[in-house]
Amino acid sequence: MARVETELLKPYPEKRKRSHRGWTQGLENQTLLGYLLLFPIFIILIGLISFPFITTIAFSFQNKLVGVKESEWVGWDNYRELLHNPIFLKTVVNSFVYTLLGVGIKCAVGLTTATVLNQPIRFRNFFRALLFAPWAIPAVMTALNFRWIFDDMNGVLNLTLVRYFGRKEFIYFLSDPTIAMFSVIAVVVWQGTPFYSMNFLAGMQAVPAELYEAADIDGASSVQKFFYITIPSIRHVIAITVLLSTIWTANEVQFVYILTNGGPDYATQIFPNLALELFQGQHLLGRAAAVTLIFFPLFLIAITLLTRKMLRQTEL
Amino acid sequence: MEVVEKRFKSLGAALLTYLVLALLCVWTLGPLYWVLATSFKYDKEIYGAEATLVPREFTWKNYTTILFEKPFPNFFFNSVRIALVTTSASILFGTLGAYAFIYLRFPGQNLMARSMIVTYLIPPVLLAFPLFALFNKLDLIDSIYGLMLAHLTFTVPFCTWMLMSYFKTVPRELHEAALVDGCTRLGTLFRIIFPLSGPAIAVVTLFSFTLSWNEFLYAIMFTQNKWSQTITSGLSSLMVEDIFFWGQMMAGSVLASLPTVIIYFFFQRLMIKGLVVGAVKA
Repeated sequence: MARVETELLKPYPEKRKRSHRGWTQGLENQTLLGYLLLFPIFIILIGLISFPFITTIAFSFQNKLVGVKESEWVGWDNYRELLHNPIFLKTVVNSFVYTLLGVGIKCAVGLTTATVLNQPIRFRNFFRALLFAPWAIPAVMTALNFRWIFDDMNGVLNLTLVRYFGRKEFIYFLSDPTIAMFSVIAVVVWQGTPFYSMNFLAGMQAVPAELYEAADIDGASSVQKFFYITIPSIRHVIAITVLLSTIWTANEVQFVYILTNGGPDYATQIFPNLALELFQGQHLLGRAAAVTLIFFPLFLIAITLLTRKMLRQTEL
Repeated sequence: MEVVEKRFKSLGAALLTYLVLALLCVWTLGPLYWVLATSFKYDKEIYGAEATLVPREFTWKNYTTILFEKPFPNFFFNSVRIALVTTSASILFGTLGAYAFIYLRFPGQNLMARSMIVTYLIPPVLLAFPLFALFNKLDLIDSIYGLMLAHLTFTVPFCTWMLMSYFKTVPRELHEAALVDGCTRLGTLFRIIFPLSGPAIAVVTLFSFTLSWNEFLYAIMFTQNKWSQTITSGLSSLMVEDIFFWGQMMAGSVLASLPTVIIYFFFQRLMIKGLVVGAVKA
């Protein structure tokens, strides 16, 4: 009643702010709007990511089998068994070699490529598009392609070696335990280097020319300029790229799956593939989960560092 | 000679640069050439004594075989549908989410943004097994809808994050002026932010499509029959079965790479700029 009175007593009825906008004016509340807009993302984060992640952790402490509902909690048994399993230990070593060599070589070749593409060469844009091209090819296709290239009998490498270089025997790129890992890493490098090159080149192009000119005046050599100007200027780019790539490279399934499927006697088996094998072949869900989780603390460090850096970009 | 010396500090520097460039080009192009060459050869030039480095005869047989006698078209269209749906959903959710993170203030904002980036970085292999169990229960195995959901787990956070970076470049004054002029917050999203972020949304679309198209782990785990398999799980399953038909496999590989290569070919400048926006900020 009182409200009606004050309405009637006002000389001019106050136009309610945005009253003609209708229902959207209720969404002026930032909190309400924020939660509403983020609702789908929230569902995905909780239902499709967080919940499965917790479940993986739970599985790793059970002796769960694929397709079987019942399982019992076995504590650290899965992990304990893994640490005594020679196949798993081989996988650990392989994973480190695979990741460290893969990331290291990609970084080196990426720096080289970016440096070359940063020079005043003719048709630079054309060469840039060319050298970044592997990035556009699905990783699975690259793996298939190289599986054919490395083929024992008819692959182009062996073909050339036997016919034009006079080798008597084929080189078993993918089935010789001593070199299989390096063949796989070569493919990983071919596919993954453009990611490094792109980021590094963009970083290099953002370096102000005056720095180099000042160095020239002081008589610096190219090598000095590279190590004292270029590298320090792009150190954030290098950090982010390397961190991202490490997480991605270590967890890649495609290359090993298609090229060697774990390799001659587990010579190229890395842990995501081992987990997949335990899951698909032996139906050991609990143990597979344990395999994927054992390395997670390392990745968590990388993820934490990355999140901080990436959020800094958006200044939240 | 003169032109080279004007561009480079010395002849030596020029020679070195071009030499390294040549090596990198051979390294990059070699495999690509070989794939294309194999796909156009007759079997007799692919295997055995008559195998050639440069095809003497040219044939479309491998392509016709894989298109008409193998379930390849199935794979292709499954991948297309999954990528399109995933991308559309990601753009929608991503735009709304990025707007909320950048232009609004509400409790839990920082935590949520952090969580989103963290979850994007969680390796898919850690989520694969429970997702399999979940989809099994929901009868989404061997269904492209299962993969659509699975792909959302990485395309949505990625799109949101990328759009956040772009929204930051829209001057805040524009947004504030609109609010002062009586525009609703939702209105600013549709009338101001959306139209201005055309290129951003284009880039995000291309990336999201590419990410979904190339995805492998979820594809091989969640789709096992030839009606639901995608280009990645389908082609790799063909390899296990038909381990010697390399002509067809290469043809399939070329066809499967076409969408992403075409996208790259037309939009590479845009995409590369978008990709490094996140990694390189002045």
